[in-house]
Amino acid sequence: MAPVVQAKGATPPSDSPGPTLAAPRGTRVASQIPWLLLGPSTTVLVLLFVVPIAYVLVLSVTDPRLGFAHYQRIFTVPLYTHVLVNTFFTSLVVTAACLVLGYPVAYVMARRGGWVGTVLLTIVAMSFWTGFLVRTYAWLVILGSKGPVASAYQGLGLGKAPQLLFTTFSSTLGMTHILLPYMILALYAVMKKIDANHLKAAASLGARPVAAFREVFLPLSLPGVVNGSLLVFVSCLGFFVTPVLLGTPRDMMISQLINQQIEELLAWGFASAVAVVLLAATGLVVAVYNRFAGLERLWG
Amino acid sequence: MTKSIHTTRGRRSFLTGAAAATLSPLIITNRVIAQTRTIYVNTWGGSWTAAEEAAFFKPFTDQTGIRVKTVAPVSYAKLKAQVQSGSYEWDITAITQADLLRADREGLLDPIDWSVVKKDKLFPNAVYANGLAYCALGTNLVYRKDKFPQGGPKTWADFWDVKKFPGNRSMLNNPVRSLQFALVADGVPPDKVFPMDVDRAFRKLDQIKPHIKVWWTQGNQSQQLMRDGEVDMMVMWNARASELAQQGHPVELIWHGATITTTMWGVAKNAPNRKLAWEFLQFAVQAKPQADFASRLFYGPTNPEAFKYVSPEVARQLPTYAENAKVAIKPDTVWEAENTARIQERFTQWLAA
Repeated sequence: MAPVVQAKGATPPSDSPGPTLAAPRGTRVASQIPWLLLGPSTTVLVLLFVVPIAYVLVLSVTDPRLGFAHYQRIFTVPLYTHVLVNTFFTSLVVTAACLVLGYPVAYVMARRGGWVGTVLLTIVAMSFWTGFLVRTYAWLVILGSKGPVASAYQGLGLGKAPQLLFTTFSSTLGMTHILLPYMILALYAVMKKIDANHLKAAASLGARPVAAFREVFLPLSLPGVVNGSLLVFVSCLGFFVTPVLLGTPRDMMISQLINQQIEELLAWGFASAVAVVLLAATGLVVAVYNRFAGLERLWG
Repeated sequence: MTKSIHTTRGRRSFLTGAAAATLSPLIITNRVIAQTRTIYVNTWGGSWTAAEEAAFFKPFTDQTGIRVKTVAPVSYAKLKAQVQSGSYEWDITAITQADLLRADREGLLDPIDWSVVKKDKLFPNAVYANGLAYCALGTNLVYRKDKFPQGGPKTWADFWDVKKFPGNRSMLNNPVRSLQFALVADGVPPDKVFPMDVDRAFRKLDQIKPHIKVWWTQGNQSQQLMRDGEVDMMVMWNARASELAQQGHPVELIWHGATITTTMWGVAKNAPNRKLAWEFLQFAVQAKPQADFASRLFYGPTNPEAFKYVSPEVARQLPTYAENAKVAIKPDTVWEAENTARIQERFTQWLAA
């Protein structure tokens, strides 16, 4: 899905799918065809997304009694707001870390073709395909008191390593590592399509490499940044196994609470209310992001 | 330059075939499941299911011809979802006594079918709230012998004594268990723990909280912590500890003040294969299958006759062994069923503070 670089307001290229059936001009059927084509995908979206979310919404105000008692509880008991804030803050930190770490890697992958780019792509893809539970357990071994980091500390004569595991640092590190391939691949997909001639043109007009990067490459890669950031941010909001295994109870994420309510306490009404609050907060964040950065960049 | 699949014919038939392939599993309905004399059991997976296969499912299938299929993992929430929606993934489940009581009170269980289950073939206390007793699981104090050459902790009070027994500690992230251990550490005798003085327990827990390195949630995690030496003493399920000991690791189990949780078999209300399910359960509560299961997994049999078929070395490690059960905490299922929800919230808040 290559976002084509074009001036705003240009029409899409002529080989994109459209109503090209030869129906007599002016018939109502011909003008309904776009809606008919949209039908199946709309039905799928409605059945698989809209209906369940509506059900959850209804459940949050009807189970066990009609009313907003659940929402009241969420905003009065400090635990839930604390966990919600922590979840959003952690997700922001992880997204920023992924962006900072992922951008250079994607840049090298995209700009250097040949075997360097291929090797990097293979490494990132293999990390991507390894299950996230396996990667979490790998961090348990690496950061553990008998792991390579502790041995390196002792080998370098720095004495006993500080507590690395079961801290906020380790859980954030784990989540960043797991979500990094998403960011890199999203950035790579966009950067690969950026024409190298644009940068050559900038150089021919007198721009030094840093300026060319800043003025030409960076704006063209923004769709990838938006794409990757959204993907990583929303995925991070739903994370709960990695913080449980690698972090402290203070780093608890909201999904763990929702899971507890559903599985152990069978309080489905309350769990739905928490889920609705999470959905609304996410919507708010995305809306603010749209206001400042513009989601239409996703399409180039 | 556009690339496309050259023959429209080829693409269409491929898509039709793919669609048919994805939709075909939906053809298997409840009625089909019931007609092929198969029962579906909800189980934990891994070594638990492997032990069940060997001790219960295979002998049962050999004896009656009824096939047994498993669905993992155990989910109490799924029980409620199944009964409410009327679409069943499994017929039988194995849940704790407290959850069974809650399920029964909410009308999620099929009443015992006395035409299939014979009362005279059951051992005393086998029946509880429309469920049949399965096995007993212990949650114990476990420590590494090599970290305490002069002798390790013997009671929960020792676990709380960070001066006499220094070292990294871990506890199970479960409110009811943690509160029970805190009360025993504070001097309450194990058979007088219920009804729990929750405030006293939380005050005692405050003392140990700064010394707990990690609050574990999964069995494998607990074994890794002990095996890798990340912690020196911890709360652990007895079968997991016995498994490590069997593999040669220097772990020691303490039974004083341990909690013993009984797992019960239950059948989901209106499950499609309930008659066959009760036949299976009649088989599963007999002495020999229970003994076989206990020998493989170290979870205690609830049928006292089963001890006749268990070797002495294995018997000593089981929660329902007389010596062990005597010093363990006496459970109160009704109290647990009624109070878990409100304690859970307080505990989660306490942990996150």
